Amino acid sequence: MDGRRWNELRRFQCRINTHPNSADGSSFVEQGNSKVVCIVEGPMEPPSRSQLSATEATLNISLNVTPFSSIDRKRRNKNERRIQEIITSLKRTFEQSIITDKYPRTTISITCHVLTLDGGLISAVTNSITLALIDAGIAMYDYISSVSAGFYDNTPLLDLNQLEENDLSYLTIGIVGKSEKLALLILENKIPLDKLEGVLAIAVAGGHRIRDMMDKEVRRHGELRLSKLANK
Amino acid sequence: MSIIIPGDSVQVANSVALGPGVVCTRNRSVIPVTAGILEENSKSIHVESNGRRYVPSTNDYVIGTVTGSFGDAFRVSLSDFTFPVSLSAMAFPNASKKNRPNLKVGSLVYARVSSAIPEIDVEIECLDPTTGKDGGFGLLEGGYVFDVSLAYARTLLFNPNYPLLNQLVKKCQFEIAIGLNGKIWIKTDDLKHTLAAANAIKQCQLVPSSECSNVINSAFKSLSQ
Amino acid sequence: MAKGIETSANEKAFIIDALTQGVRTDGRKLDEYRDVKISLGSQYGSVDVTMGETRVLCRISSEIVAPYEDRPFEGLFTVSTEISPMASPMFEQGRQSDDELLITRTVEKAVRRSNALDLESLCIIAGAKCWSIRADVHLLNYDGGFIDASCIAVMTALQHYKKQDITVSGEQVLVHDFSERSPVGLSILHVPICVTFAFFNPHGVEQNIKGDAKEIYVVDPNMQEELLKHGILTVTINKNREVCQVSKAGGLPMDALTLMECSHKAFTIAEKLTNDIKKLIEEDDLQRKGSQWKMLSASNDR
Repeated sequence: MDGRRWNELRRFQCRINTHPNSADGSSFVEQGNSKVVCIVEGPMEPPSRSQLSATEATLNISLNVTPFSSIDRKRRNKNERRIQEIITSLKRTFEQSIITDKYPRTTISITCHVLTLDGGLISAVTNSITLALIDAGIAMYDYISSVSAGFYDNTPLLDLNQLEENDLSYLTIGIVGKSEKLALLILENKIPLDKLEGVLAIAVAGGHRIRDMMDKEVRRHGELRLSKLANK
Repeated sequence: MSIIIPGDSVQVANSVALGPGVVCTRNRSVIPVTAGILEENSKSIHVESNGRRYVPSTNDYVIGTVTGSFGDAFRVSLSDFTFPVSLSAMAFPNASKKNRPNLKVGSLVYARVSSAIPEIDVEIECLDPTTGKDGGFGLLEGGYVFDVSLAYARTLLFNPNYPLLNQLVKKCQFEIAIGLNGKIWIKTDDLKHTLAAANAIKQCQLVPSSECSNVINSAFKSLSQ
Repeated sequence: MAKGIETSANEKAFIIDALTQGVRTDGRKLDEYRDVKISLGSQYGSVDVTMGETRVLCRISSEIVAPYEDRPFEGLFTVSTEISPMASPMFEQGRQSDDELLITRTVEKAVRRSNALDLESLCIIAGAKCWSIRADVHLLNYDGGFIDASCIAVMTALQHYKKQDITVSGEQVLVHDFSERSPVGLSILHVPICVTFAFFNPHGVEQNIKGDAKEIYVVDPNMQEELLKHGILTVTINKNREVCQVSKAGGLPMDALTLMECSHKAFTIAEKLTNDIKKLIEEDDLQRKGSQWKMLSASNDR
């Protein structure tokens, strides 16, 4: 409840190619007060032979929720089960949307740092990974855009912040491109079955809006680079 | 035919071949080492028992899944959770350095165990060594593969009096390969027939051979609904 | 997870071919749940669930401990899942794979996060003493559907469990023996039931993303199907038409409409299972009462 309407997204800002010298692809995503930096390295030769797959690329994701990101300065264990679970889910999601058989015998390593956290952890991280992968020039089938949606007192709400997340039941979805295909879906609290459809509908609509905004940024950045090339 | 367990004594004639389940001790007496049914004839003696894990031995017919290739050999898995065996690219009819058989990861092969020395890798081959022809071995295309118990696979392959296959033939036409590693591959002209035949074969291992025809009938009936 | 199990390309092609024709290798329909056999142990809170070849054992135990400092009015409830090589050689001792982690977390979320057990009723003296309930789930044999089976096992065990009665006088808590006072059951708010769907994609990934080809889904996959699946979805739902948890950790993208379809199917299954469990518990209760009366009347006779 921060003065938004029920179907309004929080301020969504993104940048790609933020760390051009240190990584193959990088991005910065701001969803409301949640800020995430993502760095992609690869496709590259794997550090150990055991990780190598003869037919596909291997994905490595690490997620770092910084201790100063949330209000209570809690030191988060890197191996916390919740974080591990999110990582596994993300890995499964992106394994399907990256055309992995184009990069056999390589690894793609993805590192995410959550600078501040104000709800929507999974969605902000997912969006940032999508952008960073695009920046790294890794072939993907389509954008994966992610957004959370909750349910309060018969009205569905889009893109919750931390306070809302604590009190309401909500779900996070990842949508493939402009379709209505869900790549990722996580719901952890109770939602009446009959209301689920409405919540899903606004989440899908929100996801499409985020996709458009990400697309705009990618195109803007592309044009910027193109103009630089033309000047030379 | 009698049931025998380790500790029992076995009477043997002087010159017989010892099969699995019996060993000759240092003081030249023969003792059983597994529990099972003692089968003996004038030339050989062995104990027939049902094991859970397949241990390759020379001249066994097996069905394996190709899991990888390295150099000029393929790595083939005969059963789950065991070490893979190797299948040389040369062990095919008409094979030469240039003429490499086209096996992909995941293909099924029907093969013969050519050497099974415990200290070194087990090797299998896809040709009949006496003629150099394929002898029925080679790549299995299509069809369905499933696991049965080891003793049942032996019965199906070696016991000509077992009624199952003869009765199954009345229901549909099929191609079958029986591996002694407890794998059976079957292929018919129709998917539903394949499934029914596979289920019938699987269920028959639990019933006496006299009831085989009932099992086959019910398996085919449940599918035609 | 599939380490060591090699599925041949023939099998893969056959199973997917069969699914497109609406046939499953174990003879079930695509949306048919396996028969669930639940047997209650002789002691309160021990339950054995069998689904096809999958077998899960759950045991509830309780003790009195101090509550968490930040939650003085609530008792403790932990679910621990034990997946050992006993169930299948593909699970390794001591090391948890990604899949095992997901399984464990899903079971825990389904039962604990959805507040199936009323934690406040476990409080004895605020901030000082409360009951701690522990559910140990052991996977005895694995043939797919572990999440579903363990969720059923935990929920049945919780309904079946009875803890000792207590009397509170001031700071003193007196725990009564079973023979002294009849034990009391736990207060269960609702019964969440997990239903797992496996998705198969008979065509290429590209076609699926473009939306040309529709994916096939099956309810309650067995091990073979679970090894070959392209995506998996677990819906946790209770009798009151409340979806408690949905997890689709990546895998094959699916239509939002398919999700709704799956949830409705899950609801019918959950409703039936909840009623089955309830009936079973009631029957068991009656039986136990019967034997109790017999004992009492025997002592009267003397």
